[in-house]
Amino acid sequence: MIVLIYLIYLFTPIALLFIGSFGEYWTNTLMPTGLTGNWYLEVYNDPSFQRAFMVSLRVTLACCAIVTLVTTPLAYALYNSAARGVNFAVRLVALLPIAAPPLVLGFGFILVFSSDALPYLGSTWLLVLGHVVLTIPYLLQTLVSDMRHLKLAQLEISAESLGASFSQRFFDVVLPTLRHSLASGLIMVAALSIGEFQLSNLIAGFLSRPYPVVLLQAFYGATGFACAATVVLLALALLAAAGGAITARSASRVRGGQPA
Amino acid sequence: MSVQLVGVNFTYPGAGAGVFDINLEIQPGELVACIGASGSGKTTLLKMVAGFEFPDRGQVIIDGLDVTRLRPRERQLGVVFQNYALFPLMTATDNVAYPLKVRHVAREERLRRARETLERVGLAQFADRYPGTLSGGQQQRVALARALVFQPKALLLDEPLSALDAALRPLMRDEIRRLQREHGIAALHITHDQEEALSMADRVAVMEAGRLVQVATPTEIYDRPATRSIAAFVGQANLWDGLSVGGDGVELPLGLLKLPPHDLPEGTPVTVLVRPENVNVGPAPDGINEFPCRVTRDRFLGSLRRYDAEIRGGTVLGETSARAVIERIHIPPQNIQLIPAGPHDKPLEEKQP
Repeated sequence: MIVLIYLIYLFTPIALLFIGSFGEYWTNTLMPTGLTGNWYLEVYNDPSFQRAFMVSLRVTLACCAIVTLVTTPLAYALYNSAARGVNFAVRLVALLPIAAPPLVLGFGFILVFSSDALPYLGSTWLLVLGHVVLTIPYLLQTLVSDMRHLKLAQLEISAESLGASFSQRFFDVVLPTLRHSLASGLIMVAALSIGEFQLSNLIAGFLSRPYPVVLLQAFYGATGFACAATVVLLALALLAAAGGAITARSASRVRGGQPA
Repeated sequence: MSVQLVGVNFTYPGAGAGVFDINLEIQPGELVACIGASGSGKTTLLKMVAGFEFPDRGQVIIDGLDVTRLRPRERQLGVVFQNYALFPLMTATDNVAYPLKVRHVAREERLRRARETLERVGLAQFADRYPGTLSGGQQQRVALARALVFQPKALLLDEPLSALDAALRPLMRDEIRRLQREHGIAALHITHDQEEALSMADRVAVMEAGRLVQVATPTEIYDRPATRSIAAFVGQANLWDGLSVGGDGVELPLGLLKLPPHDLPEGTPVTVLVRPENVNVGPAPDGINEFPCRVTRDRFLGSLRRYDAEIRGGTVLGETSARAVIERIHIPPQNIQLIPAGPHDKPLEEKQP
């Protein structure tokens, strides 16, 4: 029963958005009237949405690439580090972005990067950096817990006893073993980056605003247009989530065969 | 190719636990089983040989070469782990071929040798399966094949059977022994299962608190344990503490027990060991060491029956194939052994077989 109420609560706004995006008029009525696909066409033809869509895509891709390059070695080091101090420090640094609201991070960015020494506020790269900081913890968590779950250390010891060097172990055993968790973690990173609003709203330059920030403007205009623009974002996020679910499932198939 | 440990010492930082003064030599083709309670240091011993930990003092010599400071991959040892540690994303063949791959053996050649080795462990028809789709016993065979395919200098087995079904274990014991003999290599087998050690090993090394307390053949370990704790750890045992009396007796809580003549001074503290199969049912022909008893527990194990016989002053554990009611037991003097009482943690010199 509670689940049902929760699902209704969750899906009603989404359903309304969806209906609204195809409705011709929607003012002061419970449901919109008329049927049209024009709102999507308008979103598609809107130059600021076009630009925002491309910015979001670029930021997300760059964010994924950088997060992968930074987090994989970090997770590996964290997993292998016996020193509790190191473990704690890395964990703290990595989890801080989850604990601290993005708003705080955004103000920090504004303070630091609007100075004369570092006048980078508004650049796309700063936006990417912000997203990287926000999403690292999620991939890090996924990777480290999967390393534990898959008993990576045991596999590595075994590979080493069989004569594999560090690089052989890393490329033959570590990376292939982690490819599923890397993929599912990255899809989470992508979904977070696509939908990120708080930080982006504060630090994005006018011409490098990502999709969610531009989307806010849409709500000052026609309802149908706003609904259509939101559905586009929703579709992107769902695509990422579905991708994540599929990767996670195929990963668990491999894991399912592992002896406990 | 032999494995030799000379005066090996290792202490875990901060813990005080470790291994101390380990001297052990494993001959080519010999299988030495190392047994001990958990925490006795037997796994640490294996880590020293494998190179997963480096000793603080002492030497590890493999095939006449001092490898004490070499990394595991430079030691050329085949290690089989308790949980097999097969690579989940590689087929059985690729797993077995992996040690050859890292040694840059050409693809054709290494796949051929991997298949051949899989055939030797009876897994030819599972060559293309992934570890996740194999049973525990099959995975263990793949792990064995992988550890043997590159002609290692020695085989290290870290509790290889403890994750298997009890019914499968005796089968795999024979299998491991067969493969190890075929390859004629030295093997160190770590186990907490004393039955496994006794049935497989050429020699058994017993560890206690980080020290080797006895290294001997399985029969000698069983028949002449060096200390009370070894006697208790290996097999079933009646152990009683007492004082020697006269030239052929010992005073125990259950009364005076007659022994074969000994030369211990009067009143020497000793421990008496009687294995349960050496307790006889019924009256003694000469009335020596005979006790009336009441059986308080009776376990029927098929080929034999293990019972607790309550006598005045204590309980005697016995084994018999007789099915009749037990009212009297006796212990023939020649079935009784004396173990010197006192501190038992002194390391012993290794005895060669």
